[in-house]
Amino acid sequence: MESDEEDFVFYGTPIEREDDLLSRKKKAIAESSGQLRTLPAWKQEVRDEEGRRRFHGAFTGGYSAGYYNTVGSKEGWAPQSFKSSRKNRAEFKEQNILNFLDEDEKSVGYLIGGRGSGTTSQFDTFGFTAAEIARKQVEKEQKQRTKAMCLILVSLVHLAALFHLKPSIIPGPAPDEIVVPVTESVGVKLLLKMGWSRGRTIKDSHSDALYDARRQARRAFLAFSSDDPKVEVSESESVKGDIENFPEEPVNDDVQFSKSTPYGSFGIVMCDVYVLNPKQDLHGLGFDPYKHAPEFRENKRSRIANKSGLGFSSRDSLFGLKSGKAAPGFGIGALEELDAEDEDVYATGYEFEDAYVQEVEEPSTLRLENQTKKEKKDQGDLPGFRVASNSDYKMERFEAPLVPKDFVPRHEFSGPLDINRKTYEVTPPDAPPPEDGNLKLLIEGVANLVAKCGKLYEDLSKEKNQSNPLFSFLSGGTGHEYYARKLWEAQQKHNDQTSQQLNGKMPPSVKKLTAESRGQILGEKPLEKSSQIPSSSVASTDIQLQFNLTDTFTKSASFSQLTNVENPFKDDPAKQERFELFLKEKYKGGLRSASSSLASDMSEAARAQERLSFEAAAEAIEKARQGRGSKLLSPSSMDFIPGGVMQFTSSEVEPKKDLKAEDILRKKMYPKREEFQWRPSPLLCKRFDLIDPYMGKPPPVPRIRSKMDSLIFTSDSVKGIKVDDPETSKKEISSLPQSTNEDITKSITENKTEGDVKVENIERPVDLYKAIFSDDSEDEGGDSGIGRVDNQEKKAEVANTALSRLIAGDFLESLGKELGIGVPPDMPYATQKSKNIALQKELVNEDTRTDILKSQNNDEMSLNHDLPYDQQIAREDVPSKGDTIHGNMRESSNVNSKGNSTMNYRPDKSHEENIKDARKVKTPVTHRRDYNSSSSLEEEKNRKCSRHHRHKRRNEGSDSSGDDERDRQHSSRSKGRRKGSSREKSRSEKHSKHHKHRKHESPNRSSRYSNEKDNPHSKNEKRRRE
Amino acid sequence: MSVEHLPRKEVNVLKGHEGAVLAARFNGDGNYCLSCGKDRTIRLWNPHRGIHIKTYKSHGREVRDVHVTSDNSKLCSCGGDRQIFYWDVATGRVIRKFRGHDGEVNGVKFNEYSSVVVSAGYDQSLRAWDCRSHSTEPIQIIDTFADSVMSICLTKTEIIGGSVDGTVRTFDIRIGSEISDNLGQPVNCVSMSNDGNCILAGCLDSTLRLLDRSTGELLQEYKGHTNKSFKLDCCLTNTDAHVTGGSEDGFIYFWDLVDASVVSKFRAHNSVVTSVSYHPKENCMVTSSVDGTIRVWKT
Repeated sequence: MESDEEDFVFYGTPIEREDDLLSRKKKAIAESSGQLRTLPAWKQEVRDEEGRRRFHGAFTGGYSAGYYNTVGSKEGWAPQSFKSSRKNRAEFKEQNILNFLDEDEKSVGYLIGGRGSGTTSQFDTFGFTAAEIARKQVEKEQKQRTKAMCLILVSLVHLAALFHLKPSIIPGPAPDEIVVPVTESVGVKLLLKMGWSRGRTIKDSHSDALYDARRQARRAFLAFSSDDPKVEVSESESVKGDIENFPEEPVNDDVQFSKSTPYGSFGIVMCDVYVLNPKQDLHGLGFDPYKHAPEFRENKRSRIANKSGLGFSSRDSLFGLKSGKAAPGFGIGALEELDAEDEDVYATGYEFEDAYVQEVEEPSTLRLENQTKKEKKDQGDLPGFRVASNSDYKMERFEAPLVPKDFVPRHEFSGPLDINRKTYEVTPPDAPPPEDGNLKLLIEGVANLVAKCGKLYEDLSKEKNQSNPLFSFLSGGTGHEYYARKLWEAQQKHNDQTSQQLNGKMPPSVKKLTAESRGQILGEKPLEKSSQIPSSSVASTDIQLQFNLTDTFTKSASFSQLTNVENPFKDDPAKQERFELFLKEKYKGGLRSASSSLASDMSEAARAQERLSFEAAAEAIEKARQGRGSKLLSPSSMDFIPGGVMQFTSSEVEPKKDLKAEDILRKKMYPKREEFQWRPSPLLCKRFDLIDPYMGKPPPVPRIRSKMDSLIFTSDSVKGIKVDDPETSKKEISSLPQSTNEDITKSITENKTEGDVKVENIERPVDLYKAIFSDDSEDEGGDSGIGRVDNQEKKAEVANTALSRLIAGDFLESLGKELGIGVPPDMPYATQKSKNIALQKELVNEDTRTDILKSQNNDEMSLNHDLPYDQQIAREDVPSKGDTIHGNMRESSNVNSKGNSTMNYRPDKSHEENIKDARKVKTPVTHRRDYNSSSSLEEEKNRKCSRHHRHKRRNEGSDSSGDDERDRQHSSRSKGRRKGSSREKSRSEKHSKHHKHRKHESPNRSSRYSNEKDNPHSKNEKRRRE
Repeated sequence: MSVEHLPRKEVNVLKGHEGAVLAARFNGDGNYCLSCGKDRTIRLWNPHRGIHIKTYKSHGREVRDVHVTSDNSKLCSCGGDRQIFYWDVATGRVIRKFRGHDGEVNGVKFNEYSSVVVSAGYDQSLRAWDCRSHSTEPIQIIDTFADSVMSICLTKTEIIGGSVDGTVRTFDIRIGSEISDNLGQPVNCVSMSNDGNCILAGCLDSTLRLLDRSTGELLQEYKGHTNKSFKLDCCLTNTDAHVTGGSEDGFIYFWDLVDASVVSKFRAHNSVVTSVSYHPKENCMVTSSVDGTIRVWKT
């Protein structure tokens, strides 16, 4: 506490006892030095620990103003004796901390490394710690080893001194020391890294011991030195001494070290040990810009090597950073994570890399040492060492393997194909086909197959059809010769084809064709001919020119297409001639000359071979012609290019046309305008100073008219029936997946029921009630047979049709709008629905929960009995309650469309989103109802529960989704009704909820309800009896 | 207007932004211009005299768009920090921040009465924010877009947004309808003709498309420039005689409105021209670029 008080400033005067006052006053003040601060500075007094006043003013000193606090000796100061500065010019006196230390401080070892200071061994840079001692032991050993080398180096020192080099090569055993196995302090490590070698002092090199060494080497240099060597501070004299006998004892590290250490780091002489890799850049310690790109390091090194010597650029500034180098979007704070959007997508703002490299290559400072270094670099990094001509950093690079020129990128299969090829080395003679046409066909077919699939196939079929006389040709029966011939032909053909494909040895025309056809396949567009100018006049001349060209090319009118390019055998004129003959024969019809006279000198086999090749070539040409023909037939190009023009002309016009056509097509497609309904929020309208187009209209649905239509104009709705009816049949597969959108379905079911109500009130179809209530009573009997399901469904269908008839009309329209689909009022959502259905049906079919959903539908249907109330409300409160009703209607239309038409709630996305929209709008209403649902009729609830219970039973086991939703419901609602499984309960609760809402909305409904309830019940009874 | 009257002479270079300038906009009367950029600042300039007037700093990330009210009293800006800032021009203070976008906000505009800020976001939505009340919730969220909404344009009664999903959607508040014109190409920028009859949509296939607003008909396509990867602005000249737009190669193009021919192009910047803004009355234009400069062009 006291110590605390000492530091505080006190206000006010402490109360003191009078008797003590005089005697203790001063002491008290002295003791609580804090109190001094209450006084102004000029009133404060300094006292010693006994409270005595030791400092005095010049006139208040008195006796006690002795030497105590001033001079430190009784004699006081002695005036300095005069010294003439004539001889001794003003010296630059070196001071060190010891000059300013008192004896006691010295004794404490204040600031002096190792003595009394508490640094740990690790941070004890120069301390005489155990580690240091141990290290020195090692050093001593090393000393022995390095002595010989050092002696050599010493001579170098002198040499260096001659050249005014900083004697940085003084042979500190640095390399050895670095490897010293003993732990070193951090400071030593750092120093070593910075180029310090043990035993050297850390001092500016001027005036240091090395200087003395230099002096010793050559006196002449003294004149040039900036310092007077004689002026040595006392403590450095010891060092000097050491250094002076340095030549004799070059490795006198220990002595030197020990002598210099008492003075801490202050007496240590800096020596210019050449640092192998001095840190000259502005990077952070340990940062290696080339870490992942050693190539650049090489680059830089070579550049530096080129520059070395005198070429110091003036660019070295400490602020070498170009401002632009900072990331262009520099504003990202340190705390913000850098993610993708922070990338400089423009990336072009700054020449980042340039700046980077430039910055790197500058040595940051210009120093004399550098120069020496540079000079030394010429000789080598270290005396006795040379820069390696090849660096370790060289990346090992491997040449890409040389592909032999004759290499064909094709895999040879050693399979049956090859075998086959060899099998029929000898050409089988041309055999007449068997008389039997079928057999001939069979043989040919088999031959082709075998040629294609390999010998294996032949063997197989042989084996299989051993007993079959038809296949006797395989094993040497009738037609075997023909088969052999055919097989050979087929094989030749096949091999030719494959080899053509693989070897690229095709005749040029064929090659060209394939490229083009491939292009066609890939949808590529042939290059446009540059000379082609899309102006009509030029085009016409062009065409003429082409005509002329073709004239020159073609040999006969019939072969106009057969241009030079397409002559497959032009290297062999005789063969070409034969080929043309062959073509003539082939295409002109008539009888073939039995054997071409031209090739009479050829062997049978050669002729056969040749014919096959001709065949192939002709085929190829034919194909080309066809392709061209088809192109020519394209209407656009027809105008410009008459039939005989060469192929490339057609291809050059065509793409343009294609492009244009595409363009036109795209233009036709886009822009595509669609119009949807969009409901601006009232506030937005207000802020835009516009009248809300939906003002006064129910939130979800835009137009009141639609509601009225749906209620009154049933004729409209009749149209909808047709559309709906077929869809009701799909109800079996309809599914209302109660997946994530449970609440959607919820609201939908709710609304559906409401919508249904309206319908009923208008028409009151008896069967609807029956459908609703009859099964109710049935099921209450506890029957849950599957056969009943059908029955129920049927009823539900009936009900649905009835409902849809009523609702379809304008609801559909509004629904269409809601869903963002422009549906004309007459053609309701059927189309859209069917679309959805088509998409979803498959899904639904696969849905394992189909039956669940079905039953859910039933649930909804069964809920219809509630509906009358809503309907009632709607009728009664049309003006006032328009909003809610309208919403209900709209949603009911939604529901109906979906429910009746097998509404899948596995909706495609847009649909879903639309629903979402609807739901968004809707939710507030439902919420309100939820909260309002406080009062409920027990009987209703019970009945409902039971019904739902029944349905649930059916659903049990398969109903897996929507649990959470139910839970929510559950939690939000009263928990009084717990029946059966939680699932059942929740379900029932859900329904009861809907029920409740309705009730709440119209108090008079309840009475209504009871009436009607009775009614349907009785009806049900009736029906049952029937 | 002949070609000679196109603003092709550089009269001022507005320097100050560090890093890319993402948008430059004239104010309502064309006396001032605003710019915003990757350095998270909004700057107010007098482009005619080349004076930097004020810097607005508060955004946490790059500022992508800025708009000023017609009375020059308020600014709104948006950017990568997913917020819309509502500024007081004179004091440079942020009056309000509107949060709610789930992604970066690409564009903001005031409505005619400066009572609503409508923003277009990467979260595929348009949001309308109320400047009059203190509500922090958007007045309305329009999320019918299928992709990031890049640009927004307001008329007295309509909100027009262009989206990467290729649509230009017009939300007519007066009628309560949404008209979607699908262009088939990502839309970068929408701007209105001065007569209000056409929409110019800059698409990412290096094409500007002019749409008739009433029919949705594609009136003209303007090609020649490069715009494949960046959000570039385009606009019509004050007389609606020409269409202008930047290019990713630093050029500025002028097309004839009717026959879509490039009537002029010149290299304006060293890098991508992100934004062009045409003076409402005079033949003057400001362009901004990734190279960090804003240039003022006059005839």
